[in-house]
Amino acid sequence: MSLLDTLQITASGLTSQRVRLQTIASNMANARTTRTDEGGPYQRKMPVFEAKAVDPFGSLLEQELSAPEVTAIETDKSDPLRIFDPQHPDADMDGYVLYPDINVLEEMVDLMGTARSFEANTKVVEVTRNMAHDALGIGR
Amino acid sequence: MSGLPILGVGAPSYPTASPLTKGAPSGDGQAFADTLKQALEDVDQSQHRADAKLAELATGQSPDLHGTMIALEEADITLRATLSVRDKMVDAYQQIMNMNI
Repeated sequence: MSLLDTLQITASGLTSQRVRLQTIASNMANARTTRTDEGGPYQRKMPVFEAKAVDPFGSLLEQELSAPEVTAIETDKSDPLRIFDPQHPDADMDGYVLYPDINVLEEMVDLMGTARSFEANTKVVEVTRNMAHDALGIGR
Repeated sequence: MSGLPILGVGAPSYPTASPLTKGAPSGDGQAFADTLKQALEDVDQSQHRADAKLAELATGQSPDLHGTMIALEEADITLRATLSVRDKMVDAYQQIMNMNI
């Protein structure tokens, strides 16, 4: 396992966090979306991470290492919120509108987690680079 | 002193001389040259990869910001490694050349 392969694992982690950020952006932006192509209000999206072997044909150590990958984006199946808003064009006969069950505070917490996780992964890149430079500095 | 044979100048019979005169293809010399060539090609490839990623990012074909930075970092590390090897080789050559004979 070379230092450069470590960078590939980290790159995978960064990509996963980027996809997570995109789903959070989608959820935040669509918190009040009442119309979708499938009909009904927008439903919350969640990325699913899966650990993929880095090199299934490598050495014993390499077989144990895995990099994350977003293999699916699942939809939250919970019922939409029923809010009384008779002025809304999508209100039903009783004046209720179906809004997505998205808690913006929850999304904010998830956003902070994503930012910290991305930061941690970039730190790994930094340390890897420093280690490579230190190794090259031996005997200079 | 008759037991000490004096060898002719034109007939060297040192056992160590034979592998050297056989030419380059045998021994570790060729392997090192191959390794060096391979390493240089790898460095070249990583430079090209970083270049391509940068072009993709700049033209908006790829959203992979960190992937590009990591490719650039890889190219930088491999290039530095090559320069270290070059420095060591040149240093060793100069050490030999500066030897007092």
